[in-house]
Amino acid sequence: MSLKSAAAAACVALAAALPALAEIDAPECVAPAQPGGGFDLTCRIAQQGLDGAFDRPIEVTFMPGGIGAVAFNQFNTTRTDDSNAIVAFSSGSLLNIATGKFGTFTENDVRFLATAGADYGAVIVRADSPYADLGALMDAFKADPGSVVVGAGGSVGSQDWMKGALLLKSVGADPRQMRYVAYDGGGDAIAGLLGGAIQVYTGDVGEMAAHIGDGSMRILAVLAPERLEPPFDAYPTAKELGYDTEWTIMRGFYMGKNVPDADYQAWADAFAAAYKTEAYRQARESKGLMPLELSGPEMDAQVKQLIGELRDIARDAGLIQ
Amino acid sequence: MVDRIFAGLLLAVTLGYGWLAFAVIRAPFQYDPLGPESWPRILSVLAAICLAGILWKPDVERFDTRGGTWLRLAAIVALLIGYAGLYEPLGFVLATLLFGTVAARLLGATLVRAGAFGLATGVLGYLLCAGLLDLNLPEGPLPRL
Amino acid sequence: METVLSGLATGFAVALTPLNILLVLFGCFSGTLIGALPGIGPINGVAILLPIAYGLGLPPESALILLAGIYYGAEYGGRISSILLNVPGDAGAVMTTLDGHPMALKGEAGRALSLSAVASFVGGTLAVIGLSLFGPLLAKFAVTFSPADYVALMVFAFASLASLVGRNGIKTLLGAVIGLMLATMGIDANTGVPRYTFGIPDLLAGIDFLVVVIGLFGMAELLHLVEQQVSGRLRTLPVDRSFLRRADLLRTRWTILRCSVIGFFIGILPGTGASVASAVAYGTEKRLAGKSGDSFGTGDLRGLAAPEAANNAAAGGALVPMLTLGIPGSGTTAILLGALLMFNVQPGPLMFTQRPEIAWGLIASMYLGNVALLIINLPLVGLFARMLTLPQHYLTPLIAMLAFVGVYSIVGNPFDLYLIILLGIFGWVLRKLDFSLAPVILGFVLGSLFENNLRRALSISAGDWGILIEDWKSIALYGLAVLVVILPAWAGRRSARAAADAVED
Repeated sequence: MSLKSAAAAACVALAAALPALAEIDAPECVAPAQPGGGFDLTCRIAQQGLDGAFDRPIEVTFMPGGIGAVAFNQFNTTRTDDSNAIVAFSSGSLLNIATGKFGTFTENDVRFLATAGADYGAVIVRADSPYADLGALMDAFKADPGSVVVGAGGSVGSQDWMKGALLLKSVGADPRQMRYVAYDGGGDAIAGLLGGAIQVYTGDVGEMAAHIGDGSMRILAVLAPERLEPPFDAYPTAKELGYDTEWTIMRGFYMGKNVPDADYQAWADAFAAAYKTEAYRQARESKGLMPLELSGPEMDAQVKQLIGELRDIARDAGLIQ
Repeated sequence: MVDRIFAGLLLAVTLGYGWLAFAVIRAPFQYDPLGPESWPRILSVLAAICLAGILWKPDVERFDTRGGTWLRLAAIVALLIGYAGLYEPLGFVLATLLFGTVAARLLGATLVRAGAFGLATGVLGYLLCAGLLDLNLPEGPLPRL
Repeated sequence: METVLSGLATGFAVALTPLNILLVLFGCFSGTLIGALPGIGPINGVAILLPIAYGLGLPPESALILLAGIYYGAEYGGRISSILLNVPGDAGAVMTTLDGHPMALKGEAGRALSLSAVASFVGGTLAVIGLSLFGPLLAKFAVTFSPADYVALMVFAFASLASLVGRNGIKTLLGAVIGLMLATMGIDANTGVPRYTFGIPDLLAGIDFLVVVIGLFGMAELLHLVEQQVSGRLRTLPVDRSFLRRADLLRTRWTILRCSVIGFFIGILPGTGASVASAVAYGTEKRLAGKSGDSFGTGDLRGLAAPEAANNAAAGGALVPMLTLGIPGSGTTAILLGALLMFNVQPGPLMFTQRPEIAWGLIASMYLGNVALLIINLPLVGLFARMLTLPQHYLTPLIAMLAFVGVYSIVGNPFDLYLIILLGIFGWVLRKLDFSLAPVILGFVLGSLFENNLRRALSISAGDWGILIEDWKSIALYGLAVLVVILPAWAGRRSARAAADAVED
């Protein structure tokens, strides 16, 4: 047994030493989840959109475990200098970093590389809802935050909850007074909305594409900084209606902290070039994401600033001390 | 007797579980009256009652496993742990080759046959799972398929 | 009705082209293979093979037909390792081990495999018929199931499972509680607070179902086999040439029909799937069987047919809300939904009017897929059954290899390989102590559904427990729960009295 573990240790050391070669010869996108989820799709954007950028196609691998924490920790411990690997993240991961769910490592222990695209929060009600527009809903929140049953596909402290909490805060109501129902995922929450268990669903614009035109639900507002492109251009933003609430779901990639600058820059350049191509646009659109094109050190700085803001919001809401 | 030992051990675990539920788990705030702690509290009490019942009236006196068998079981568990440890560093093919050979030998196959079996499961298993079904298996130092 | 018929005509015209027939066959076959691997079921099967289907550059309807074949094939394949190795192929196949494996040990693996193939076929086909006739209507009903109704459904599920009580009631209950406790590990779905994770990031999302099943069943079975072999108690099984008999079908026909209906309805509900369906079906059948239900768990034909009809019917039912409303009701259908989106097809009510060739082509291919699976599976029965004649010193390492492949290729984390070994030792000890493992697994599956829906219901009502008995659906389910507990007792007494009467005459 001791011999075996010694052999194993030697092999681990060997395997860890291999990626130190400073070149991108086996590009890999790590989806920190099981196949088929949102991170898988994010990696597929890189795979299809960056086709031809390197000698070999980007391979998508999976590293599930702990809502992305396992991958985050691995790239903070053993694979900090792996030039070949990029890891998919979303705003949800950033929120988890901000609230410390990922453990002791912080955003400063990785390098953010590039965005894949964006989605935006949306306030959705059933077609026959008494809330004709966002104003009516916000008045109800203001009068009595507990009078409206809000539901979505995430726990307290998740992105979906954040959207509701920020809406309440924009009219000076306490998010703790909200009546919030946490479902297992967006699909279950939509079923709850259609079935009448909840009255308002704080979901995403992208997933609504499937339901636009069937007349079952209405989007009261999108939580984007400005009006979106068609087919979502008909929906007002919360901001233009006078409620200062914005929720951008960013999807993108990060790398280990000790990746050589040249390799980091090679990846960033590959993304910057890909953003201009038709293939990339198609890859992004087929995954239901809207354009958000940032890469390199500029993107890294923006994300780190964003995490700082998220931390403030979480502290405000009482999620962290 | 083994029933009592097992129940005793599990009771210790349950007490720890219950202590966490009653004293530690707490949400900053919650929208449901139960919160994250009530369900585990109920479970710990239920489990403790069941375990007390087993301690009171055990029905399995002792394992009918003999000394030599224990040794062999321990060897298999050790082998499995080794297999798990080598899985990523050596890759599927080599780790399975090793594990298959040693395990088959341990369980009574001749050395030659065990080796052939290990080689077959390692290589054929990889071709079938990674090649045909496109499953995600560790490659180790061997080149990618 | 007319639109259904003309729709089906369109669909069959699409599905019956040579290319698409070939794809259904290929999908069913590879799906069966991947589903037969321990732990890998339809979710992972579809997710794994999706990129291949996409990469083939097929037209959308053909690619979806291929995926539907894989989906069904994987659901079929799950029973194979349950019956032969006592290791469930996926969540829905846990109950299949209870009677399927004892049959294999009796030298009736062929009979078990063929009967379960027929039960799967009937369940799957009835579900597709239900889907094509009443899909939109049922979907509208399914979404009105509120969290409070799910709580009632869970009470019903546990009530029907009370029939699983083995020789020692306390141990059965404790087993279920252990499963429930395991399910509380990880981030709390309501408040986002981590529970029992001890700061280990690998545990934040809780223990994967796959890991629990492969550990408790697969690894424990492996240790059990080693022990049997080493202590010389293992007898080699004769070459198994048994096959389904007409009398078997006659004996199980009502079971199969009933469980298909149960499975279909549970499958339609978003959030519950094949695992809940097969558990409820098994429990209900055992209850309904009354005194003769005592043979459940020892290789009873009905105990095998019930979960198999139910889990395949549930797999079909899960497609109802996805196709008709665009709401994915399960992990697998979420992935199928993703696949549809990748081909620029929006599922939902509009799909049937805007892209009828896809909507109906998919449905028609499910009819074909079920037939194809029956045709593929029956001749293979002998081949699969032969696996059991493999000498033990090869079979045992093979189980370990398959279990590792299942866990690693899905969970992709070496931590979980150690976890299955640990759970395997625990499962082996439980078996030695006369615990049944099925309650542990069911507690694990039902636990989070129960807790989360209860807390959801109470969040909606702001803490008012009255919400649990507000709706007729909840009350009806509580009524059924009471019935399923008292009916067998009542039926037992009546048949005893009838027997007494007969003697008096």
